[in-house]
Amino acid sequence: MLKAILISNNIEGLENYFQSNEKVSYEISHVTKHFYPDLSSYDLLIVPNGSDQVAMGKIKDKVKDFLDEGKALICCDGWFTNWVPGNQWRMDNDKKTIDIRYFVKDDPHGFFKGLDVNEFIFSHGISGYWACGYIVAAENATVILEDTWQRPIIVLDEKTTNGLMFLTASGPLGDMTFDGKESKKQSSLVKLYQHVIDYLITVKKQAYA
Amino acid sequence: MPKIGLIFNGVWSQYTFAKAPKYKDIFELLYVYDLSKEKLDGMDALCIPFQSNQQALALNKELLYDFLRQGKKIFIEGDSSADWLDARWENRPINNYWWVTNPENPPVSQTDYTHPVYNGLKPRHACWHTHGAYTRIPDHASVIQRNGNGEAITWETKHYGGTLMATTLDPIVEHGIQQITHLDNYVDKLVDYLVGVKPQGKFKFDMASFN
Repeated sequence: MLKAILISNNIEGLENYFQSNEKVSYEISHVTKHFYPDLSSYDLLIVPNGSDQVAMGKIKDKVKDFLDEGKALICCDGWFTNWVPGNQWRMDNDKKTIDIRYFVKDDPHGFFKGLDVNEFIFSHGISGYWACGYIVAAENATVILEDTWQRPIIVLDEKTTNGLMFLTASGPLGDMTFDGKESKKQSSLVKLYQHVIDYLITVKKQAYA
Repeated sequence: MPKIGLIFNGVWSQYTFAKAPKYKDIFELLYVYDLSKEKLDGMDALCIPFQSNQQALALNKELLYDFLRQGKKIFIEGDSSADWLDARWENRPINNYWWVTNPENPPVSQTDYTHPVYNGLKPRHACWHTHGAYTRIPDHASVIQRNGNGEAITWETKHYGGTLMATTLDPIVEHGIQQITHLDNYVDKLVDYLVGVKPQGKFKFDMASFN
């Protein structure tokens, strides 16, 4: 089981999307005026969509230390402050959403195995609903998903630090199985998060083997 | 230039909106954990965007109502909390796709187009989607928009000295996200209503002013 710390700035409904289950135990760290969480007892730091990026910028060094201890970060937000080591999200509205398509580029751990990439592109036939902007990825990071213009949308970085970073260009993901189990009925977005969690559990087991 | 304080919860869309060249001289980000009477006194109006920290706002309830007592305007979008607002907001499924699947049935069914923010707007500019609804509003408030179930989407009261306008639309945050590209219409009318300034041109993101 993974022990995760979820950063929350109290936006409506956020905590409903991260319910503890047999794979992950979630603890909530609420942003306050004096936000300075102790990350030391956790395997995984989660910064969900709609997070306080000013607060994250204030604990930039703490996140770097956490990752250098071999731990993991999932960030599914637009980090306009530069607290994610080696990788930077960029806002951009030059491209029309009607032209946005995504392509799996390099998927070494099979995160997209069995998933329908169209579910990330279209909602009710409308394209460009999921992510915003793009990621300027670290030189040695793996670009899992890229857009029409070959810009990184999902990045896996296992090189910049001793830990692992799974980053989306503000494309929301959550633990929406509610019991940690995958089923055919679930959307590809739900399954992608589960595949990342499954990989992190495997990595943790190998570390302790 | 009059100033609108944008209560800021550290969310990127709020930041993008306030830093856009079109709005950056009008809006000033006020980090929700650093609010003070001195900071609010320098503002001519306040906007409380969607994805705000309602708990932190409740801690500053007296500051907000003191601002209204000075005759100024506060606009709040999206969700809210009864801990500081005399109203009950409830969540509802979001319909982002009505204009494709059922264009004759938008999430808002009634709009008072005599209100200054809505006067002159086309129906599609007056509602794109809603984040929940109000199932109770103050007795002294008037309803500006309702959904098909008769629930209040947008309402306003002048009871507290100034003007308090609440809506479950999210023009500030969606304008910052820029997936909906017609929100200059709504937001520019809103800015004019709040501080008497008419922003010009179309929203454009500029990396140079972003950092």
